[in-house]
Amino acid sequence: MVGDRVISDSWDWIVRVTDWGVTNWSHPGEPDRGILPRLLQHMRLSYLSILLGLAVALPMGLACARWKRLYPPVLTGVNVLYAVPSIALFFLMLPYTGFSDWTAIVPLALYTLVILLPNVVDGLRQVPDHVRQAAVAMGFGQLRRLVQVEVPVAVPVIIAGLRVASVATISMVSVASLVGLGGLGQLILSDGFRRQFDAPIVVGIVLTVVLALVTDAVLVLAQRLLTPWSRRGGGGPSRADRAAAVPSGTAATVGGPRTADTAGTSSPGGEAIESGSGSTGEKERTWRS
Amino acid sequence: MITFEGAAKLYPDGTVAVDDLNLTVETGQTTVFVGPSGSGKTTSLRMVNRMVEPTGGTVLIDGEDVRRRDPAELRRSIGYVIQQAGLFPHRTVRDNIATVPLLLGWGRARARARAAELMELVGLEPSQAKRYPHQLSGGQQQRVGVARALAADPPILLMDEPFSAVDPVVRAGLQDELLRLQRELRKTIVFVTHDIDEAVRLGDRIAVFRPGGRLAQYDGPERLLAEPCDAFVESFVGYDRGVRRLSFFPARELSLREDVVFEDATGADRAAEAVRDKNEPWALVVSADRLPLGWAGAAQLDRAPAGTALGALDLASYGHTFNVATDSLRAALDAAVLSPAGRAVGVDTDGRVVGVVSQEDLGTALWSVTA
Repeated sequence: MVGDRVISDSWDWIVRVTDWGVTNWSHPGEPDRGILPRLLQHMRLSYLSILLGLAVALPMGLACARWKRLYPPVLTGVNVLYAVPSIALFFLMLPYTGFSDWTAIVPLALYTLVILLPNVVDGLRQVPDHVRQAAVAMGFGQLRRLVQVEVPVAVPVIIAGLRVASVATISMVSVASLVGLGGLGQLILSDGFRRQFDAPIVVGIVLTVVLALVTDAVLVLAQRLLTPWSRRGGGGPSRADRAAAVPSGTAATVGGPRTADTAGTSSPGGEAIESGSGSTGEKERTWRS
Repeated sequence: MITFEGAAKLYPDGTVAVDDLNLTVETGQTTVFVGPSGSGKTTSLRMVNRMVEPTGGTVLIDGEDVRRRDPAELRRSIGYVIQQAGLFPHRTVRDNIATVPLLLGWGRARARARAAELMELVGLEPSQAKRYPHQLSGGQQQRVGVARALAADPPILLMDEPFSAVDPVVRAGLQDELLRLQRELRKTIVFVTHDIDEAVRLGDRIAVFRPGGRLAQYDGPERLLAEPCDAFVESFVGYDRGVRRLSFFPARELSLREDVVFEDATGADRAAEAVRDKNEPWALVVSADRLPLGWAGAAQLDRAPAGTALGALDLASYGHTFNVATDSLRAALDAAVLSPAGRAVGVDTDGRVVGVVSQEDLGTALWSVTA
């Protein structure tokens, strides 16, 4: 009997939350209210951050792979930046960008660097030497070699980094609700926490997780389409050389099951140990949200 | 023709990779650079396509200093095969082979047609065109590497230890293929290896490098084995160079005996008599169409009951045979050494027995050709 009670209570709760979600999904004519506009804002903020992060990480990674001495200081810089609490960075941005999207996008893009940069560099470094030498010997110029050989061979590792970075960014966007942005985070903060009401919090969490899963699936699909040559179970010569590191805890969990053929990902903490900042542990590897 | 004129490579840390190299690589021949690691053979090879710039002297192709050519353009005119093949993992077999034609601006259709031609030339199945390198075996990858180097039909082919990463059986197959290709194509090949057997097998001319990047000896393979110029070359060439040198003398010069060869229908008593007359300890039994069956010893023939045919006897294995028309004295000697009768069986291309030769007769022949 007690069991039936629990089940019916749970069911009522689910119905209530779903009902709230459906009722508040969108209010036509009122773009500031409703769940849908917030979901769209969430997507806009996270995707733009990731794209901006990638746009910065690629040339930065290319430079670091080319001039090896540049890499340790740049990586340390990126790691230190990552240690700045996101809330602080959002508030610091306010005087410059006001309440525009950039207030969230710039800090979030900077945070993605801690994952994307090592992946771009590792991706380029794991291009086997004999492949690079062959490209030189075939008569590729420097730029052509980079664009036609080295970057394409690095793509699986770069996409692996993108997967971790995108899932982490999607979960972190919510924090920007403290400065009036934050997409689904606003459901959690304004509608849920401040009004002591659980339905918006649950809807916010569920939609965030779903968005993260869908984004990850899209990236997996993109990798399959972009790199048909790396789709396989067994290990090849290039695969064996690939540095596989543990992805950061939270992100991997949110990211859902990882397929076996995913290339290795560099954890933000891993490289930092090498470059001398000693305080990197499980804590720093975990993305906050 | 590739000419090294006092070519040298000195690294800033004081390491001498190549020291005053003077050498001419003849057009249309295979020249092998061989030596232990650190002897500068790969460095010398890479001077040809400017992957290494000499710090002294010059390298000329047909009389023109390579430094007067644009590096990328120069490299597109020279085929290059690297160890482990160096295939581009993200490109299909066909697109790997088409690399240089595409760089030269041939257009995709023409480049792919050329790739298909080359796949056939190096013995790859057309069905493998759309595969990726990781789906191929090591030997197949190396074939793709060779095809890619030949794609734009360059007159010069540089091969940097191309077969060292595959197992010995596959390697032997690839060496045969290269010899066959070279008979067809007559490229100017410079081949780097640390394996003297590979050098002797493939090279028209062999340059032996010693540590410190100095050329120790530059000669044809037969002469290199016969007359190593000093103790280093002698030890590098190996202690059995005398036997290996026999590969360069054809077995067709040998005089083979036919009088101890009997068909299996012959009576044992008749064979016993013939063998006794000639004081020969063994008779070779062959089938009616002269395929070898095995050896019968003189004592065994004497013991056989009257009327027994040779085919009914319990014969000793004839071991392995040598082809009189195509094999070398080395193969004949090997066959004789391994034969239970101490005699080698010479056959024609169809495997029919031409005659036999004993170790003693072989010894005399060796003496006369190698002396």
